[in-house]
Amino acid sequence: MNAANRDPDAVLAMQLEARPSFLGVVTGFVDSAARAFGMGREETLKIGLAAEEIFSFACERICPGKPVDIRCRDGKYFMGVAFRFPVSALDMGALNITASARCDREEDLEETGLILASRSVDRLRIDPDGRDRVRLSVEKDKSYPPAPEESPAPAAFRGTVAAATPDGEALKRYVIQASHLSPGPFLPDFFRYPGKVVDMAAAGDVQAIVAADETGRVAGGILFRFLTERVVEILGPHVFDPPATEKVAAGLLDACIARTARTKAIGLVSLTGLPGPVRSQFESLGALTLFEKGGRASERPAWYRLLHEDPGCVVWTDGALGEFLQGEYGRLFLAREIREVRDLGETRSGSSIFSAEVHRERSEAVLRPLWPGGDLAANLERHVRFLGEEGFLNLLFELDLGVSWHASLVPVLLGRGFRPGMILPFAGQADLVVFQYHGTEP
Amino acid sequence: MEPNLERLVPACVREFEPYIPSKPDHELRKLYGCDRLYRLNNNENPLGPPPGAQEVIRRFPPPLGAVYPSGDSYDLRGEIAAFHGIHPDQVLVGNGANEVISFVIKAFCEPGDNIITADRTFAVYEWVAVFSGIEARVVPLKEERFDGPAMLGRIDDATKVIFLCNPNNPTGTYWSRDTLVAFLEAVGGRQIVVVDEAYFEFVEAGDYPDGVSLIGAYPNVVAFRTFSKMYGIAGLRIGYLAGDRNVVDMIRRTCVVYSVNGIAQAAALACLRDDTGHIARTRELMRQSRAFLREELGRMGLPVICGEGNFLIVKLPGSDTLAYRKLMHEGVMIRPMTGFRYPNHIRVTLAGMEAMEAFIRALKKILA
Repeated sequence: MNAANRDPDAVLAMQLEARPSFLGVVTGFVDSAARAFGMGREETLKIGLAAEEIFSFACERICPGKPVDIRCRDGKYFMGVAFRFPVSALDMGALNITASARCDREEDLEETGLILASRSVDRLRIDPDGRDRVRLSVEKDKSYPPAPEESPAPAAFRGTVAAATPDGEALKRYVIQASHLSPGPFLPDFFRYPGKVVDMAAAGDVQAIVAADETGRVAGGILFRFLTERVVEILGPHVFDPPATEKVAAGLLDACIARTARTKAIGLVSLTGLPGPVRSQFESLGALTLFEKGGRASERPAWYRLLHEDPGCVVWTDGALGEFLQGEYGRLFLAREIREVRDLGETRSGSSIFSAEVHRERSEAVLRPLWPGGDLAANLERHVRFLGEEGFLNLLFELDLGVSWHASLVPVLLGRGFRPGMILPFAGQADLVVFQYHGTEP
Repeated sequence: MEPNLERLVPACVREFEPYIPSKPDHELRKLYGCDRLYRLNNNENPLGPPPGAQEVIRRFPPPLGAVYPSGDSYDLRGEIAAFHGIHPDQVLVGNGANEVISFVIKAFCEPGDNIITADRTFAVYEWVAVFSGIEARVVPLKEERFDGPAMLGRIDDATKVIFLCNPNNPTGTYWSRDTLVAFLEAVGGRQIVVVDEAYFEFVEAGDYPDGVSLIGAYPNVVAFRTFSKMYGIAGLRIGYLAGDRNVVDMIRRTCVVYSVNGIAQAAALACLRDDTGHIARTRELMRQSRAFLREELGRMGLPVICGEGNFLIVKLPGSDTLAYRKLMHEGVMIRPMTGFRYPNHIRVTLAGMEAMEAFIRALKKILA
């Protein structure tokens, strides 16, 4: 949750120049780090492959001959490899995940670089790192045994139920029961791996509160983690004794709020469903659609509550989004000064960059604008086509309403099948608008 | 070249989220589209300062704006000391009581130490500790009161300061003299016990203790008082602490001199000298508005936590932070209590009847 709660991560770092002759050094380094961090054989191979592709791509396209920092981090339940490159405006475009994919379908796809890297890891993202540098990070999760398939026996709780931080065993019991309680598509994949959640909690990437009765029997629980710098995502509360749902859920939520109310968090968001009795404490942000294989689609409602007074802020947008924003801000009673950005013919040049965060387990890719350019429409087109060909069913695009140039993407997105789905208050420099691609809607 | 803030800034500061105060009223009115704003969020005194202090502020000689004030509030310390029957060296004046919290933590704590306070109380004790790299142990209130035995149970060798808020903000509950004395006996002088009495002058209960009067018997007691609440000069930022002479001598070493401006010192002097019945007038207004709100909120079926002080808290059927936004659109500003770890509660300052009626009208509207 914060640095104070985290054990220091094991980090191995090296710096070298982006030269093809050093490729073996990089792969050997990542391979050795993976073994030292306890990664399995398959995971070691996959993250090694990703590192090889990224470094090769750096040598060829991003920053040939320039210094590259490489940091391997043991995240307890995953291994991360971060590359930090110097970049200039000339080679910015190469950082798009689609940079090596040809748009022309008649020709063979050049499957190199970031495409292959993205396929062999669980998460890939690109972030600015200072003024002239970019950080490209890949993460590969460790393998864990799945939760037992048999459903736990119905619980009979005794006496008072109290909410507290669980030990590893209580946490595993909670996760197993939660995965049986709501095995739907919204529950994150890690609920299938209780040992992984224990490691996530130990790493400080998630916090847990479990409600237990006087005999230690688990009556429910809640997980929470920072989704962005100032927004905490809650998973749950899950309650395993239906008649006690109202009381236990409220107690778990109160405990969660007590932990988060005086942190950096300004709001709580629920993207995985809320028990009915606590919904009155939240506001509906709307719903995204989760597309699944086989043509299934389900509504994915989001709930939100601020933890503090709304300080209000300025948001920038294109006129085409004005009605949506006014409607949503009015509905949510959020004080915003909406400023319209207009294209007055100024020259836009260079290559734009979109960061792509891929979550293969839910067939989702989240795009974010990283750098402006004169090719926004063409770049979006490349991403939509490439990610569609890669089989991603859920394409989201997040615009930060606190960054004025993001507004120029509004007409581009609306013209390519994206629709505004919801506002996430204070999830960026100001609020985020999450657009969802509906071009593949069945 | 950009500074490496990761390396330069201590983790306890990097991880701390700065408190964002409310925007100025004119900005809020613009943002929320309201013509006027009833400020019921900061427990300000609607009557303002006593008449003598108002006169001092009105007549403050502009040329004195160029002259440094007394660096240690010399005259005011003398007056405060006389008021309490203690020595001037037992008093330190700060730029609001918030500043004297910092003085105390800096004087007694270093990384590795801890302070103890309650989970649902004034947040600044916890904040100052946390961003100073000091562990803040927050003990849950019990039945809306500071839980003495539980606090004693959290003391260890690294505990340096215990912060009590008496009466507590936001619950208005208080420890009687007997309870406080029993607690001090149990602490046995091993820790500094701060008794924050920001709302002292509002309390009319007979068994409510005067922390300053306990300093002689318990030299580990440090009492805080402020001129922001009853005396209505919150805008001038001035408060003080009183303690044993040796204890205050240590705290003085961390005290930034010249932090209290000249108008504030002069106005505070006038507050202490008030003989117009300012406190009685304010208390009468509080009684009236408290009774009105309790009756109205009771009719609405909303649970109320109401004790001493110029505020009460109301439990709402839904989110307090949403209620804040809706009430702002109605021109009423209250304090949502999630940040005090009271989700779905709001704190309302007791004020004049016009403001109280406006609040009730707005609350009925947003809950309809």
